[in-house]
Amino acid sequence: MSSEPIERRVSYLGDRLRGRRCQLCGKEYFELRDYCGNCGRKSFGKMEDIDFFYEKGRLELCTLITEPTNKFTKLGTYIYGIISFHDGKIRVPGRLTDKIIREGETIDFSRLEGREVVPRFRRRYSVEKSEIIPTISLAFTFADEYYPHQEYQPAKPNKEYDVPGIVGYGVYTSRFRIREGNMERAVPFIDEDAITAAVEAGKLALIHSGVDSTLVGKVYVGSESNPYAVKPIASKVAQVLKLGEEDEDVQGVDAVDTEFACKAATSMFKDAASLVSYPKMGVPYAMVIGADNSQAAPRDSPGGELDFFVGYGGCAYIFGKTDVIAELEGWYSCTSDTPDFWRRDGEPYPMHGGRFTGDPAYFKHIRKAAKKLMERLRLQPSDINYFVAHQPNIAFPVRIAKELGFKEEQYLPSLQVAKFGNTYSGSSPVGLAAVLDIAKPNERILIVSYGSGAGSDAYSFITTSQIVEKRQRQKMTVKYQAENPFLEYVDYNTYRRLKHGL
Amino acid sequence: MTMGSRPVIVAAGRTKFGEHYEKQPERLIEEAWLKASEEVGLERKDLEACYLSDYFLPITNKLGLEEGFLSELTELHVPMDVVRSFSSAFSNACNAIQAGKYNLVLVGGIEKMTDRWDKIRDDLMLLEDPWSYYAGCTPEANHELMLRAYIRRYGITGENLEKLNIALAQISVKNHLNALKNEYAQYQRKITVEQVLEARKAARRPLGLYDFAPISDGAAAVILASEETAKKLTDKPVYVLGSASATDYLTYPAREDLTGFAASRLAMEKALKMAGISLWDIQVLELYDQSTVMEMISLEDLGYCQPGTAWKTVYESCQDYKGYYRIGEKKLFVNMNGGLKADGNPLGATGGAQIYEVFKQLRGEAGARQVVDDKPLRYGCVLELEGFGTKGHVHIFGVEGA
Repeated sequence: MSSEPIERRVSYLGDRLRGRRCQLCGKEYFELRDYCGNCGRKSFGKMEDIDFFYEKGRLELCTLITEPTNKFTKLGTYIYGIISFHDGKIRVPGRLTDKIIREGETIDFSRLEGREVVPRFRRRYSVEKSEIIPTISLAFTFADEYYPHQEYQPAKPNKEYDVPGIVGYGVYTSRFRIREGNMERAVPFIDEDAITAAVEAGKLALIHSGVDSTLVGKVYVGSESNPYAVKPIASKVAQVLKLGEEDEDVQGVDAVDTEFACKAATSMFKDAASLVSYPKMGVPYAMVIGADNSQAAPRDSPGGELDFFVGYGGCAYIFGKTDVIAELEGWYSCTSDTPDFWRRDGEPYPMHGGRFTGDPAYFKHIRKAAKKLMERLRLQPSDINYFVAHQPNIAFPVRIAKELGFKEEQYLPSLQVAKFGNTYSGSSPVGLAAVLDIAKPNERILIVSYGSGAGSDAYSFITTSQIVEKRQRQKMTVKYQAENPFLEYVDYNTYRRLKHGL
Repeated sequence: MTMGSRPVIVAAGRTKFGEHYEKQPERLIEEAWLKASEEVGLERKDLEACYLSDYFLPITNKLGLEEGFLSELTELHVPMDVVRSFSSAFSNACNAIQAGKYNLVLVGGIEKMTDRWDKIRDDLMLLEDPWSYYAGCTPEANHELMLRAYIRRYGITGENLEKLNIALAQISVKNHLNALKNEYAQYQRKITVEQVLEARKAARRPLGLYDFAPISDGAAAVILASEETAKKLTDKPVYVLGSASATDYLTYPAREDLTGFAASRLAMEKALKMAGISLWDIQVLELYDQSTVMEMISLEDLGYCQPGTAWKTVYESCQDYKGYYRIGEKKLFVNMNGGLKADGNPLGATGGAQIYEVFKQLRGEAGARQVVDDKPLRYGCVLELEGFGTKGHVHIFGVEGA
């Protein structure tokens, strides 16, 4: 059994890589020290908080771990070494992640030493299923590979808007893929899960938006694969991303997890938008994250048909009323109690009768939500530049788009399921992100999510001129992640093993 | 140290190192004590205090207060204290004797690591540094990183790099060779340079199986007396001339120097000053070779080789190994018991075995592995480390000039 206090302290420092810098001599520590070893007593009160979460490090030295300690055995063979930050001012231990080292594969350490690395928030090691999940950011990937180093530069907002909208967003999928038939699907590395994807997506959204994380007053995380039955993902996101004003080690932010199958995140768009519009309550920004390590039973067991479609990833949106890139024009949500897909408590995989999957589940709800919203806003399909639907497979979103009267150029840009698989709570949000990546100012986007159980949320967004300005802040676009030269393709057994995780 | 207050080792004993699954931990320490006490005809009741050491016993063997076990076993009620390393216990005992508090004490060390073979590497790593553990480190990895740091810092490439790698292998081969003559050693078998290199290749790492000291069980005991008391017990006293320690950061990557152990360097400087002798007066030296890299680096830390050159000394000495490292005109006899590599490394007892070796060598009682230097043996030295150089202890011993 792990110790909660030890776990809390290690995570508090290690997830964010927090430290302190002496303002007198500049010495840095990976530790919350109250005084500096060089300056002694006069440095009390002169130590400023720093962290290395958004920093670029350097792999100074490395070796191969072929016989890990017990808790690391599931990581297999990995590279471990010493990482420096700030030109060697500080050095920390770290392992390289996102790397499968095959049996017999030899590593030329001198070719890796000296290269730049980025810290990654990951699971630390294996524990019993009943225990607290340990996490850490002493895991690194090379800055010139799949995951680039991006600076986080909070900026003072330029422009106020009358209506709320999207201020920034981030999409995160792993660098591993499985390719079967006409589909590629994102596969988490073994130390990833819905929690790590949520944090990554939120981090990328902060980078893209330029929003000061202390001004985020609420964070919602929608997921159906939270590794905890009880304990929110949102609390981890809030602490690691330092959302809201920090006081001692508590964040001044409301954080909550939501669940409604694949619409757990989109459902909260309107709540986030409403919250930031509420007068005088001091919530300038609200973050909505959809993240899933989409679950599926093995192919030969009940519910196993999902195993052909599930993906992995997270998508985060920040809502606010300043420097908006897409204004929220309107919404419509609908719900019915339709049991097309479910997972009972304690069961590892969802069930899928198949009876209701298309109609009356997916098609009925999406059709209803889309039509009602278009009616309310008096829109014809021709008034809409892009249509985004929930994407459990390739066929469904194409069929509903056509039925609603949309043409290929309206619905194809959002169709991402063939590249990442069904990312569950992140599915339609990733589609929306793909559109926002390319949309011009003053274009209208209709997104309709679907969540089994069942319901749909339809939203209409209109892009602003700031969408173009902010684009340069984000290298991790949907296209970048779909067509990256560093993608690694794995076979079915590896996919199942990685997905199962630590 | 002034002559009057020098602590004296009057006897030493130890068990064989290796796997002792059939023995209770307290039986091992009893065995070491009996061997030592028989030499000088002591009884349990003669002891005034016991200074004991182990790293893990309460964790590995689920013991209660160890002092209680020993009190029960010995039926004694004298003061007993348990610390981590043998060197720590030894230093405390020396201090007490110098202070005039006791005249006769036992220093005993024990470890039983193989009982928890299943998790000992996790325990070792957590002891070494929790943050490195959390980042995925193993008990071997920091040795390999130090080697990488050494190679890069001194720009060792090509033929020199090959020689360095061979030199490290020769350290292991040499220690195994020495252990052939040590009946207490865990491994009494010869190995070859090829075997060492082959194991590294199989591991795909800079160091392999034969570069590291094993996991061991064992115990060692030393009987320490004041000079007055020693005279009644032995006519071959071995004096503790200097004993010092130093500390360093737990997290190896955070240290300023990645190619050496500051704790060893500082402890050696202090110990030499205390002993009032020169580095080059020392003839037999027991180094803490948890890995071959540690033996090489320690030659530099203690001052015998210039930084970045110890591998040359080792390589050249081992081309035609005569039982010692040749440094200029000086012969330095290192790890005559086989070192941690071949003698074994039951943490809490390891320092005891190192002191035992120097004690036997200086008294001329080392049997088949007795060192024969150009001049009679007079000075010996022990370096013991804790963690990955987090603590360094140096003890300097001497006998009356022959």
